[in-house]
Amino acid sequence: MSALTAIKVLEITRTVAGEYAAKLLADFGAEVIKLEPPGCGSPTRQLAPLADATVAGESDPERSGLFAYLNTNKRSVALDIETHQGQAALAQLLTRVDVLICDRQHDWLEGLGLSAELLESCYPELLVCAITPFGQMDDDEVIPAEDLTAMHSSGWGFHTPSAADPERPPLKGAGRFLASYEAGLDAALCTAAALFEREASGLGQFIDISQQATLASRTDYVLGQMIAGDMNVSTERTAYDLHGPADIYPCKDGFVYIWMSAPAHWQALSKMLGAPEWMNDFSENWLERECTPERVAECRRHVGEWLASQNKASVAEAAQKLGLILVPVNNPGDLMSSPQYQYRHFFTELKHPVLGERVYPTVPYQLSKTPAQLQAAAPLLGQHTEEILKAEVGEVGEDVGELEQ
Amino acid sequence: MSMRKRGGPLQGVRVVELTKVWAGPYTGKLLAFLGAEVIRVESEGSLDVTRVYGVDDINNAPGFKAVNPQKLSVQIDMKTEKGIALIMDMLKEADVVVENLRPGAIARLGLGYEQVAAVKPDIVYVSMGMYGSDGPLSYQTGYAPCFAALGGLSALVGYEGEAPTGMNIRYADSTFGAAAAFAACVALLHRRRSGEGQFIDVSAVESMTSMIGDAVMDYSLNGHVASCDGNRHADMAPHGVYPCAGGEWISIAVSSDDAWRALAATMNAEDWLDQSELATLAGRKCEEASLDKRIADWTRNQNAEALALQLQQVGVAAAKSLSSLDLIANASLWQRGFYQEVTDQQGQQRSILGPAWKMSRMAEVVDDAPSLGQHNAYVFGEILGLSEDEQQQLAAAGITR
Repeated sequence: MSALTAIKVLEITRTVAGEYAAKLLADFGAEVIKLEPPGCGSPTRQLAPLADATVAGESDPERSGLFAYLNTNKRSVALDIETHQGQAALAQLLTRVDVLICDRQHDWLEGLGLSAELLESCYPELLVCAITPFGQMDDDEVIPAEDLTAMHSSGWGFHTPSAADPERPPLKGAGRFLASYEAGLDAALCTAAALFEREASGLGQFIDISQQATLASRTDYVLGQMIAGDMNVSTERTAYDLHGPADIYPCKDGFVYIWMSAPAHWQALSKMLGAPEWMNDFSENWLERECTPERVAECRRHVGEWLASQNKASVAEAAQKLGLILVPVNNPGDLMSSPQYQYRHFFTELKHPVLGERVYPTVPYQLSKTPAQLQAAAPLLGQHTEEILKAEVGEVGEDVGELEQ
Repeated sequence: MSMRKRGGPLQGVRVVELTKVWAGPYTGKLLAFLGAEVIRVESEGSLDVTRVYGVDDINNAPGFKAVNPQKLSVQIDMKTEKGIALIMDMLKEADVVVENLRPGAIARLGLGYEQVAAVKPDIVYVSMGMYGSDGPLSYQTGYAPCFAALGGLSALVGYEGEAPTGMNIRYADSTFGAAAAFAACVALLHRRRSGEGQFIDVSAVESMTSMIGDAVMDYSLNGHVASCDGNRHADMAPHGVYPCAGGEWISIAVSSDDAWRALAATMNAEDWLDQSELATLAGRKCEEASLDKRIADWTRNQNAEALALQLQQVGVAAAKSLSSLDLIANASLWQRGFYQEVTDQQGQQRSILGPAWKMSRMAEVVDDAPSLGQHNAYVFGEILGLSEDEQQQLAAAGITR
């Protein structure tokens, strides 16, 4: 039992964004029915990270760690919605669920009576949440897009990394799917809010999520000042930067991040290093008042030399005690051994019939009464086809089930 | 002056914010954009740094305004017992409270979850901390780039074979705030169905790990620690950001064999089309460094926007990498209504970033960020039912202003 236990969600998506949005709901107990094309299943079943060949074969649809992460607590129905019978079953399913999560444009939705315009007359209680790279387009134009191009349409790409070298390309962001995770989070947020409203109004609605707009909205502190005319816009890759010596530095066993922006940080650094001579060339408040590129470079050189001989965990612990903002740059191995993550049970084990018993990340919010729970590993392709079509679709379902075999 | 009904899914929900800087205020902003009435409690003696840092007028602070549109502000001295009692009275009339003060600070003020739940049992109480509210490291504090470094996200951003660079320094606070807003909405739904409130403990560092779940799974499945790989992608090649004329850049992601053929044809690279090993992803992955080099030579003197359009038309995912100048002129963001106008305290129109989403029944967003204590009369008079005399006494005693 959790907060969304009584909510039924139908998921028809080919993308990480849609699968992640539905996962966020599933982990709060929503019953998520995932429609997948028979045969190959969701495209994410073929995406890395893949378990090695001793666990599963080359095109095995059950060997993707990405799919396993995105589809916890869901049930899978293999159904070809391009066929007549598939469409009939889909229409039935749509009368049985509270929410549809999808990744399509208006024309596809219109064919099923699911567009913003048709929803009220066809499915007045249904919430439809469509996640697309640029939102619903007026002319049903489909602009080919991937997470990389969404990131670069949002400002995050152009301005990453900070303190960019103008000769080197701007970067894609963290990993492959940041644009999808961010959009999926906003989709889940709006869906939860709309479900809250529906409790009182009894009405469904259409939710249109744009990856580009979601990502741009995450820069509100800077872009909001720019659109208001309070901050300069430019073609500089450093336009979002806070200039100063804050950065990631190599140390003996990895990397640390150090933040310095105020006199208090400078004093803490001085204490940490035992007031070395080179610091005398800087004034106490240089970080606020005299933060020139030359001073920043000089400071970075000394800080870099010092950190090169340090171990990340021990130097970070000593720094925290002195009020110096210095933290280790963690990797997944560090996180799994973190006493904090262990204390909060951030990781949990799930058993999957092909991947076996593995550790999964859970969620960053702990709810005292209705905690999110990872109870079931991702479904095998079509694992619940018969059971769900029988229960939700009745006779139509049996026909479809036979067609499958 | 009762509050105008703005519609939206959270209309009728009242949120009290005891927040600072960006992450907590961002949570409140999302809830306000969904229709909630969001009241910031501000204390003149300990103002949000975004109201004061490098700013002449605390009521005209650009950074503060960017993150706090459509909110109300009440000014209460939190260092006085009476001030805390007033806040507690507000919480009795609220549905949600959001706090991101330093670890332990809220409980020392007498406004911790147990203390609030004693008088308002069904409160949805959202507590936000770098590491969450408990655990061996929960005493630690840091800024947004620390969240990203600690949560495993920064390690994945950087050029191949080099030290990580991390995301742009602005990343993390807003993502953390969005995670908290989602959890709050889930709890509000549960409360509407069951009558039960609860405590929500959100960790900034964990919110970062959630954004790299697939990299965590790589470690979990294969013991593989992913490192910086520039603009590479395990399932696509070519996949990169290439130079264009005038210092501009274009992002290109070849996500299928069809897209590969379309790209090669557009480049008139007949020899690429003839090489059967390049027809598959595996073959292109082996050659991606040389493919990238030739694509960069081809893009170098072209116009990024025109080239992106040309590639899109043949089915290749491509986009100009947008600068801040490009963003504020971006047609799709304007058409969507993402940029919109609100009215500031002087009655002037001001542009803001509106909600990123569109919904059938949106909340109106009409007001700029509040000046300090702008809504004292509404909060003390209408919500708490204090008489004008009582309000004046509070102001005279310096508890309010």
